[in-house]
Parts: sequence; C-alpha cells; structure tokens
Amino acid sequence: MTGSPKRYLLLTGAALLAVLPLGAAAQVDLTLWHMEQPPHRVERVQILLDEFNASHPEITVSQEPQNWGEIYAKAPAALAAGVGPDMLFAIPDFTPILLGIGALTSVEDFVTELDAEHNFNPSAVEAYSYDEGVWAVPLYNMSMNLWYRPSVLSAAGIDVPQTWDEWKAAAETLTGDGMYGMGLPANQQLYTDQTIYSVMANGGASEIYNADGTLNFDNPHTVEAYSFYNDMLAFSPPDAASWTWGEAEACFAANSCAMVMQFSVISTYDTQAEGNAEDLGVVAIPSRDGDTSNTIAYTNAVMLLSQDEERMEASKTFVRWLLEPENYGRFLNMEPGLFMPVTADGAEAESFWSDPMVDKYRSQIETVIENSQNGMLFGFTSGRVFPAISAISAQNVLAETLQSIAIRGEDVATAVTDGQARMQDLTE
Amino acid sequence: MKIPKHILPFAFIGPAMLFLAAMLLWPLAQAIILSLQSVRSVGTTGDWVGLSNYREVLIDPVFWGSAWLSLIWVLANAVLQTLLALVAALALNQSFPGVRIARTWIVLTWIVPTVVVVMIWRWLFSTSGGIVNPLLMLSGVTDAPVGFFANPTIAFATLVFINSWRWFPFITLMMLAGLTRIPRDLYEAASIDGAGPWKRFSRITWPLLAPTLGVLLVIGTLLSFNVFDIIWLLTAGGPADSTRTLPVLIYETAFKSYRMSEAAAVAVLATVFLMGFALLATRWLARPPEAR
Amino acid sequence: MKRTLRWNLALLAVLVSLATLILLPFWFVLTGSIKEPAEIIGREPTMFPQSFTLQHYAKLISASDYPVYMMNSMIVATASTVITLLLAIPAGYAFFRMSFAGRETLYRAILLAYAFPSIVILIPLFGIFAKLGLLDSRLALVLVNVAFALPFAIWMLRSFFASIPIEIEEAARLDGGAPLTVLRRIMIPLVAPGIAAVAVFTFITSWTEYVFASVMILSDAKRPMPVGFSGIIGQYQIDWGLLLAGASLSLLPVVILFAFVGRWFVAGLTEGAVK
Repeated sequence: MTGSPKRYLLLTGAALLAVLPLGAAAQVDLTLWHMEQPPHRVERVQILLDEFNASHPEITVSQEPQNWGEIYAKAPAALAAGVGPDMLFAIPDFTPILLGIGALTSVEDFVTELDAEHNFNPSAVEAYSYDEGVWAVPLYNMSMNLWYRPSVLSAAGIDVPQTWDEWKAAAETLTGDGMYGMGLPANQQLYTDQTIYSVMANGGASEIYNADGTLNFDNPHTVEAYSFYNDMLAFSPPDAASWTWGEAEACFAANSCAMVMQFSVISTYDTQAEGNAEDLGVVAIPSRDGDTSNTIAYTNAVMLLSQDEERMEASKTFVRWLLEPENYGRFLNMEPGLFMPVTADGAEAESFWSDPMVDKYRSQIETVIENSQNGMLFGFTSGRVFPAISAISAQNVLAETLQSIAIRGEDVATAVTDGQARMQDLTE
Repeated sequence: MKIPKHILPFAFIGPAMLFLAAMLLWPLAQAIILSLQSVRSVGTTGDWVGLSNYREVLIDPVFWGSAWLSLIWVLANAVLQTLLALVAALALNQSFPGVRIARTWIVLTWIVPTVVVVMIWRWLFSTSGGIVNPLLMLSGVTDAPVGFFANPTIAFATLVFINSWRWFPFITLMMLAGLTRIPRDLYEAASIDGAGPWKRFSRITWPLLAPTLGVLLVIGTLLSFNVFDIIWLLTAGGPADSTRTLPVLIYETAFKSYRMSEAAAVAVLATVFLMGFALLATRWLARPPEAR
Repeated sequence: MKRTLRWNLALLAVLVSLATLILLPFWFVLTGSIKEPAEIIGREPTMFPQSFTLQHYAKLISASDYPVYMMNSMIVATASTVITLLLAIPAGYAFFRMSFAGRETLYRAILLAYAFPSIVILIPLFGIFAKLGLLDSRLALVLVNVAFALPFAIWMLRSFFASIPIEIEEAARLDGGAPLTVLRRIMIPLVAPGIAAVAVFTFITSWTEYVFASVMILSDAKRPMPVGFSGIIGQYQIDWGLLLAGASLSLLPVVILFAFVGRWFVAGLTEGAVK
C-alpha cells in the first residue's frame, strides 16, 4: 500500500477507536438463569425484563430457564468453562456448591442496603449468611403447609388436626371408598425431603447438626418422626413412592387425597379442580404435641456471579429494581399463591395483592405468609451451614432413609443410624 | 482428481475413522485419566491417586449391586424384546391385507422420542387419570391400584416393559429382514412333503434365522446396557436404588455426589465388562459358517 | 401355501394384540390432549373424550418456546443425518470392497464403539467442548449424534453394499471408472434404499437424544425438543394437559416424516441384507 491510503486508514482507525468506547461503555448484556420453567412463569419474567430493559437502556437482561434436575451439574460446569450466567436463582443448599468452586463474592453490603430499604425477614437472610459473608440476595419464600377441603373434613365429622395423634386419626377416618386420607410422597426426591423435614421439624428433630458441626441426625426424635411418617404412608396411594410435587397436587385436585402437604395448591386447584375459594383450607403442619408449629421454608435467592465490576453493578441495579414494591408483587405472582414475599413492604405491596388469583384466595395466602414466619431448613438452622449439606441434599438422604423403611422394610432406628452414616460419608 | 491407488482406502475410511477417534477415543482416554485422579466437582482439579479409585470401587457393594442390576436388566430386556420381536416378525412375514402398512408402522413406538415415551407411560401408570390401573381392576387382575414405580421388583419390571415397548419394533424389523431372506421355495417343498407349521419353523426358520438372532442379541445387549434416560426420568434409580443400573450409578456419582473421578472409574470398569462381552460374543458368532 | 383357519385366527390374534399394545397408549395420549383438565386427572379415565378443549395446545404454542425447540431438533437431526451419510457411505464401501491392512480388525473395532456406556464420555466431552467454545451450540449436538450413529451406519451400509450382485459392480469397473466414480455413479443409486434406511435411523436417533443435549445446551434458543419438552412440563406442578398436548405434538414431525419415507426405511432394512 502506498502512503496516502495507509495514512487515511490509520486516521479512520484512530477516529473509530476514539468514538467506539463512547458507544460501547453504555451497553451491558446480562444473563439470568432461573429454574421457573412453566410457560406462564417464563412469560411473566419476560414482561418484567422487557420493562426493566426499556427503562434502563444501558442494560439488557435476558433469561434462560433451566431445569432443577440438571442445574446441579450444569451450573458449576458452565461457570468453570466461562459460559455461566451473571445471575442465578438459588435455594439455600445450592449456594454452597458455587461457593465451593469460588464463583461467589459476598454481597453483604448490598443486602444490608436492601434490608434498610425493604426490611427482609431475618430468617431469609440467615439462610445465606455463613462463612463471614452473605452469598445471595433473598428473593422469594416458599413454605410447606397442610391443605384440605373443609367440606370433606366436615362431612366426615372431624376437626382440623393440630397434633400428630389427631392427624393420624383424621387420615384414617378419611381413607376409604377411593379416597386417601393423607397423600404423602415416598420418592427419593426433593419433595420427599421437604415433607419429611416438615414432620421432623414439628417433632423436635429440626436440628440435624450440633452446634459444633457434628451430625445429630440419629436421635430419638428423628426416629419418632420417621416412624410417624411411615405409619401415615398407609393412608397414601400406592404409587406415592414415585411422587413428585405434581402427583400430590393432582391427587388433591381430583379429590382422591383428602389432605396433602404442599407449598401451594392454589393454582392447580383453581385451574384443574373446582376453584371454589370457600372450600380450600390451609393450616400449619401439625406439631407432635400441638404447640408451636414449624415448617420447612425455602427462601429462594439470587446469586450474583459476575466477576466484572461493571456487570456486577448492572446486576445490582436489576435486583434493586425487582424488589421495588410496584415490581416485586408482579414478580411474585408469576405463580400466584406459591411465592411469598421476603420483605415487609413486599408483604403489603399493592402489586402483590391486586392480582386476581391472590385476591380470590386472600385468606389462604395470609395464612401461608403467617406460617412461613416459623420456617426453617435443615442444614441452615442456627445461623450456620453444614459443609456437606449440598451433597446431602443433592443425594436426598432424608428421603433415602425413608425409602429404607417404607420400601425395604428396615427397622426405623437402624435406618436412621444408616442415614447418619451416609451423611457422614458424604461429608468426607 | 486422481487419488493414488494405495491411499484410496484410507481416503475413504479416513474421515470417518478420524471423527470417531476424536469423538470417542479421545474422551475415553480423558475419562481414564480422570479416573486416576481425585476430581470431585465438575470443573475442579484433583491430584493423581493412581488406582485407588478402582480399589475403592471394586470393594464397594454398591458397585457390584449396580453391576448385578445391569446384568439382570440386559437379560430381562433381551428375553422380552426377542420374544415380542420374534412373534411380531413371524406375523409380519405372512401375507395379509395391509401387511405393507403394518410393516411400516410397527416402528411407531421407536420413532417417538424417549422423553415422550417416558411422559406417556408416567401418566398411564399413575393414579392421576392413568388407564393401566383401572384396566387391571376392571379385568379383575388386582382389586387395588398398584404403584408401578413404588415397589422395587414391580418398578424394575415396569421399566423393562417400557424399554421393550420402545425397542422391540426395531428388533422386529431386523428380524423380519432375516426372515425375508429365507427362500419361499424351502417352505413350499417342506409343506409338499407334509411338514406342518411347527416342523417348518423348527427345521427351516429357526436354523436359518439363528445367525441373525445372534447378531441381534449382541447388538441388543450393548444397546440396552446403555439405556439411561428411560430409567433416570422415571425412577432416577429408585425406589430404594432398586433400578440403579451402572449408567445411573455413574451419572449419580458424577453429578449428585460430586465425585467425578470415582464415576469415571466406574465407567471405565463398565466399559471393560462390555468390551469383554462384545469381544467374546463376536468371536462366538464368527465361529461356524453361517447357513445361507 | 394356504393357512388353515386355526392359523388365520392365531395370526389375527397376534396382529390385534400388537396393534393394541402399540396404538392404545397413543390413543389415550391424543384424546387426553383435548380433554378438560378435570377429565384428564379424574378418578375414572374415559375411553372417549367427554369434553373438548384446545387450551393445552394454545398454551403450548403461545406461551412456551415449543416451536423453537422443534426447529432446533429439525436442524440438528438433519445436519447429523447429512454428515453421517457423508462419512459412512465411503467408509462402508471401502470396508466391503477394498482390501487394505487391518481391515477386519478395524471393522470390528468400530462396532466396539457401542461397547462402552455413553455416559463415560459425557464428562470429558463437556470439558473438551467447553475449551473449544462449542458449548451451547447446535454443532456440539450434531457432533455427538454423528459419533453415536456412525458405527451402526457404517455397519449397515457395508451389508447393503455386500448385497449388490457382484456382476453389476464388475461391469461398472470394467467400464473404466475410478473407485470414486464407481461409487458415485453406480453403487450409491443401487443402495438407495439402504441409504434411506440409514438416513432415517440417524434422523430418529438424533431426534430423540436427551442426555447430552440437556447438559451441553445452556440457553433456551438452542434447546432441542426433548429437553425443552421435559422442561415445560414443570417441576412443582404437572400440567397433565400440557404434557399430553406436548407429547402429541412431538409425534407429528416424525409421523409425517415416516409417512413419506417409512416405506423406504422398511424396504431398506428388510430387502437389504443384514449380515
């Protein structure tokens, strides 16, 4: 090339370089991974994303719905390969995995800032606070409750159970003639972990660790809880050993199960069953002796994974926006009646209560919110997290122990001891 | 373009061989390397531990339990699929109105994606509107609904049934291929000689079909050993680990217990079993000259 | 050779049983997909629909990415088929017709490719693809599908080539063709049914692949149908109607495909020798 064109090119190049950063600095593209795959939830998230993207032209957030069954394998692998997301929804026992591979930075300051503004439930933040950091921002809550039809109970002449004895008696009375008194799962799967723990937590067995970090799963309360659960299985349909959440809800919707334990059946009840708000009852899970009732609580949160400063700031902008009451309610209502607010102003947000479904089942949802105040999660109680809880959760050891009893017919005490040995094994 | 004669074969098979080496041999080698380390979670690294993973796996009753389940799985599938396929192939080898259509659409269950097969049967066997339980109760076989995935033995049998339902049409076609190659005149001659259907089957059909059956059994075994998604999506190895065949154990160990290297060791051992079987089987099949 | 009445009845019984075994489940799925939700999960299943609704299909198509998933599957399956054929046809021919050192050993080695659990290469392959930047790409799926279909394709094509009468081939060669030309002009048209059979086999196998797709694909836009479908069904609730509609819809492409090429597939398999 001769002199003139070369210089021209250089000048153009320099000019472009000067101009480009002005345009490029603005745009940040973020990816959000979440596990809310049902189409209507994806749709609602997209509506919110579109609104955010429109009002924040320099940031574009896009969503990639993932599957709970794959994410435990996929997320660490993707992050290790450098193709992970900027934001990832999580449940408490999923977070330690990512912490373990060094993908998380503490967002303690950010959470404190948000707390001052919106007032988080203390237990929600607790589930993500350990090892001198806060590793995710709480977003929504789910807790287990006991659902029933008042008409079915009154037709059988029984009151809503409040103790384990009453519960068993009610289940027994209600079973018969094609109806199962209590639909309980016995699958080696997360749902079963959740229902068992809900029973354990109500029988004095909520701590599976001691304060010093050693296992405390094997104790008389746990044995009693498993024994009770196993007895109750007699009132469940025969295929309960292969149940996930969907089957339990279907059983309740078809009025083949008089009672089920579930986070929420509102959506299914409304679309696939009678949808009569007057005849849907919800109550806290009965505790052994009828005193304070506990339940399992899953505070879902969002992990911020960007290593890049700019992207991290952009992610925080998005989360801030999401927790604003006028947006937060619509976010929670991607599945009305299932996702509960974790902030005080969220619990009063108009955007939450104005949803038609939420309004229709107002009294049920109020009960659920109240129940979730006493929520806890195994491995995350007492402000500490047990190191191997992720593997224990991923392997569904709680459910596995139940299967030894219910399916292999093992003696309860032995099974619980074996369960603890299994947990110990996974800790190494 | 003229390719020199002595290079020609390699030009023809080269691309395919290179592809297979890259996609199968190379990762296999990586897996072996992985099994000699102590890698836990995906994306992390581990130290060299030599054969200690293998030592641990070989003394672990869980491994042998899974190996046993895999063996039973392979046998049960082989029996059920061969029986179904044989009956179907013999029927489709006849001539009757619509035989062409029947031969084409027999494979309907095979062309459906596995995931869909899984969903269909999950619903049919369930107590939420599934048809199998009501049918069983109506015909008096049982008087209470059965949990098809709730009991270890029944769950295993149910999975064998579903897998066979999906695969037997394919085997049927392969068998039909073998059957159609048997010359009709052999049958004609035999029936003129007064041989009844059973004699025709045992003297003509069976011996001439045997080689094909042999090959199908070997292929079928290799294929059914590898079945993962049907089991994983329906029972995930349960209930109580009663359907945890080797592929399921490998996946679980890698992605739920976060023990990559251990999983790789199990996988390599499984490979050794299969390869041993395949080598022995092909040698046995190649033995006597095939009757044509 | 006539059949006695007894055998005719036996044949009929077998055919009816087969038809029921294969078709009845699909009947329930198809009719279920247009039933009201309450009827689907009702305690007493109905043989013939008592209600009618298209809501499940509407929800499937409008509110989910199902069309995208279908498209991805079409692209991946087609590409996998084409590439498999391009690699397998020359190889199958060479293994049959050409003699070279190590031919038999190599041939047997190919079939050993099925002798290890595909799970074992899932983990290393993920790492390799990650380094090559192939994660979350349809190309990765194509590569995997071809790898799994190739051994069987080579094996099948070799037998098809072997079934061509030797005289035709000799004649073609005598007419002075380079092997490549002989292959292209003469052999391939002769094994056309066999090629169709291999093509259908590869397409179907690619269409159904689930495990690798579920781990390697990260974004919704690239997701193939089996993975997308299982995701839509939902984790916390099962929308049975949606599930049945999705299942019914997923049958459509393969049934249509088979309506056109099914004859060739069967003909290819049954008339081409399986040796």
